[in-house]
Amino acid sequence: MKYLIIGASAAGLAAAESIRKYDSEGSVTILTEEDYLPYSRPSISYYLKGKVKESNMALRKPAFYKQNNIAVVTGAKVTAIDRHSKTVKAGRKSYAYDRLCLATGSVPFVPPMENVSGKANALTFLDLAAVKEIKQMANEKTRAVVIGAGLIGMKAAEGLVKICKSVDVVELAPRVLPSILDEKSSKQVKKHLEDNGIKFHLENTVVKAVSKGKQITAVTLKDGKKLACDLLILAVGVRPCTELAEKAELEVNRGIITDTQTMQTSDSNIYAAGDCCVSTDMLDGSKKIIALWPNAVQQGTVAGAQMAGADLTVGGTYSVNAIDFFGLRICTCGLINAQGDEYRDIIKKDGEEYKRLILKDDKLVGFVLINCSQNAGIYTSLISNRISLDTLEGDITDAPSIFLFDKDTRMTKLRGGVQI
Amino acid sequence: MKKVFAREELCINCRLCEVYCKTNHSKSKDVIKAYKSENPAPVSRIAVYGDKVASVAVNCRHCDDPACVNACITGAMTKDKKTGIVSVNEDKCIGCMTCLAVCPVGCIKQGNIAFKCDLCGGEEPACVKNCPNRALLWLEAGGVKS
Repeated sequence: MKYLIIGASAAGLAAAESIRKYDSEGSVTILTEEDYLPYSRPSISYYLKGKVKESNMALRKPAFYKQNNIAVVTGAKVTAIDRHSKTVKAGRKSYAYDRLCLATGSVPFVPPMENVSGKANALTFLDLAAVKEIKQMANEKTRAVVIGAGLIGMKAAEGLVKICKSVDVVELAPRVLPSILDEKSSKQVKKHLEDNGIKFHLENTVVKAVSKGKQITAVTLKDGKKLACDLLILAVGVRPCTELAEKAELEVNRGIITDTQTMQTSDSNIYAAGDCCVSTDMLDGSKKIIALWPNAVQQGTVAGAQMAGADLTVGGTYSVNAIDFFGLRICTCGLINAQGDEYRDIIKKDGEEYKRLILKDDKLVGFVLINCSQNAGIYTSLISNRISLDTLEGDITDAPSIFLFDKDTRMTKLRGGVQI
Repeated sequence: MKKVFAREELCINCRLCEVYCKTNHSKSKDVIKAYKSENPAPVSRIAVYGDKVASVAVNCRHCDDPACVNACITGAMTKDKKTGIVSVNEDKCIGCMTCLAVCPVGCIKQGNIAFKCDLCGGEEPACVKNCPNRALLWLEAGGVKS
């Protein structure tokens, strides 16, 4: 059996490992257009500010691939999938497959702006190659402008603020981190980021850039303001990378459509996993792109197992994310932007700590925790296991612990059912 | 593999397990220094929850299919194939705490990076050795049937 995987991040690597678990014989090949063995993309901002070394960004030790007989072909940009001959084309080479997994991830979404495209100092913030370029360009004289105050933009800004003279962030929404924070909590986070040297221009956009040859020197905002700019980071957002799937006429609707349980696409020999796919949120049944690491690993693991003929299925998909900015910790899970009368909030604020629990009927369906994420995984398990809050013993608004559960449940969790 | 098992009915909430865990994970291995002077301060990887009526020590279950390993965004959290111990590579961890966000028993401690029970490397752990009333046992994961 020939297994081929396109993409070498969370989902692609998980698929390769999973295939190997169920099939020790077949050939497993990962194709990546990047020049590196699988590495941690979320670590790029830490690399930028010097907190991690490049060698520590590797997701697995180099020996791992040899030990597990997994071939990784770097610098291999796939340009086409031929479903009839079951081959993919990368440059002049073609690779045959019996089972194919698309783990192509996301691509940056860059809105049209006048005079920005093709400029040497306008870069996205998604991969190691781009960050290496940014690291070379940025210095103590650099005036950086980041477009987008989402997770990627803010991580870029955090990394740059240590190096650059100034960092301005331009965001269309009226608040920072609009996808994970409500109005109240985003005010707190914005202040913390401002205290650490980031300047915001909210409800604003970059309309055009002023340039000298290939170099942008300033940007003009919607409200007419002009910002001097030596480095422009394009971090408005990402969208699923579906180009190959579309060209191969697989079913695509925003993301690649797969069977929710098996990750099989509309072609029975092709699977897909991670940010490039449409996921079904188990908490409200909605179809969405869940571009988060744990989801990608889960889907990759299932896709790999299914490709190798094993009977593993996706248990349930939901969003969970943890991130920190200058020591401020944000942890979110579930339906944090739920709208409708069936949802109610419990909000608890105490100094720098902010806790928002989102409930539906007798269940927890989401949370936002700022500076109070102690044991947050217990909340996550209440959400993912759909535990009725009526069965709990403690106060759910306190820091969660094993004592939220009754004695039998506590013992099962701690002993795994073992009698001692 | 051998793991630490807690007996809630014997725990008296003395929290000595925390003291000895913290000390064993300090540079000096000295209780006073671990608590009073070491910088960065060492972190206890076990914690006692509850009150005087009922309490129990919680540390890592070293799960067969660990949620923390699957969720780790840097490859820092791994489960050793031979020993079964789940541990953090401190050079790779960036302290994002995604592991903490998915651990269903609540055993990951937050610092500048993630801290968790490493079973003291595989010898009888300090918490078990120093539990005064045998509320913590060091047993094969299959346990001893009572």
